[in-house]
Amino acid sequence: MNRMRGSLMMTTKRSSPVNCTSHALWPVMMLFVLVTGSVVARAQWLNYPTPGIPRLASGAPDLKAPAPRTPDGKPDFSGMWFANVPSRDFCREKDCIQEERMAREQINLGIKLKDGLPYTDWSKEQMKTRRANGGREDPHTYCMPPNFPRAWTLPQHIRVVQTPGMMVLLHEFNGAYREVYLDGRPLPVNPNPTWNGYSTGRWDGDTLVIETNGIRDDMWLDIQGSPITEAARVTERIKRPTLGLMQIEIAVNDPKAYTKPWSVTIEMALQVDTQMLEEICMDNERDTRLYTK
Amino acid sequence: MTRARKNGLLHLAALVGLCLVLVTGAFAHHSQSEFDLRAKVEVEGTVTKVDWRSPHAWIYVDVTDAKGQKVNWSFELPSPTTLMRRGWTRDSVKPGDRVQVAGAPARNHSAIAIANSIKDGNGKPLFTGTTQVYEP
Repeated sequence: MNRMRGSLMMTTKRSSPVNCTSHALWPVMMLFVLVTGSVVARAQWLNYPTPGIPRLASGAPDLKAPAPRTPDGKPDFSGMWFANVPSRDFCREKDCIQEERMAREQINLGIKLKDGLPYTDWSKEQMKTRRANGGREDPHTYCMPPNFPRAWTLPQHIRVVQTPGMMVLLHEFNGAYREVYLDGRPLPVNPNPTWNGYSTGRWDGDTLVIETNGIRDDMWLDIQGSPITEAARVTERIKRPTLGLMQIEIAVNDPKAYTKPWSVTIEMALQVDTQMLEEICMDNERDTRLYTK
Repeated sequence: MTRARKNGLLHLAALVGLCLVLVTGAFAHHSQSEFDLRAKVEVEGTVTKVDWRSPHAWIYVDVTDAKGQKVNWSFELPSPTTLMRRGWTRDSVKPGDRVQVAGAPARNHSAIAIANSIKDGNGKPLFTGTTQVYEP
């Protein structure tokens, strides 16, 4: 089943850079199977080769290969993604358990902006309180959903499933999902606010432009508590310059929380030879009890 | 103070804050302010239970303190999903195993900590795996 799903996502009519039936590539494929074959029988499919991926002679994925396209020529963002974090050890000790790949934007979404995010006085007050409380009111701490655009930066994986009329984003955290309608419908007027709001997408050349409204009034954008409110309109401009890289420019226009519109760009790296893993936060949330004496 | 200098100091403060949280790093779902990341606890004992569930795995360790009293410590680990991507399984540490655990204690509770290091009874690190990452 996994093989079929991966093949569907990664093999496209125009751009599949590798013909897996080519006899010239059999030695490479056999080498890859030999290298990875010893781990195929392990638990889950964490080392199972994703089919339809162009590979180097070493068997590693050729992530610099052209991005795949759908049969109608649009960029295909389908695949499994994680924040593009360098593979270095964050820990100081060899046996440190807490090494984790983490986007810096997870803490502060505006960390790469020279002057940071342009908070209104209302936002500054909100953040002052949130900081003073050690971030314990963060909805994420209480296992609330991985709201976008914050969800791009969280340390869980996202699977994009793209069809002509809809893009679906599946998030490991709480098994969450987000729909982006690509069928030309307008954004809703005065919608009931939700964790991810309401999203529609349109194409601007090879860039998918996603507009979102209807976000709840009490959302956090990062661990330090940058707010986003019901007044927000979010525009995400998504590009896939290569097979392995997706760039997302997130523009936020939220006059309640910010003195002016702002944007940041984050990068996502394609994850291959692995799978989504279920992470249901409420299963065993045991940290919030520690906030009280 | 000039604005540039003020901004510089703010950025420095932000960087210092970031470095502090990166010391222990794992934000599967919370800020870790419930732990005193500057303090350190080190114990040796016997694993009594492994709770392999999201958002964080926990292991429980019986430790005999200086007064001869047995105390059951709780240690928070990263999420099982993170651990599995690094090669651990729910059986990597089992009840009955002798372990040495180092970590940062909870601020408001005794015998609870977030683990930074787990070694076997002979001091051999049990946690050396890293996630396979292909960089685009």
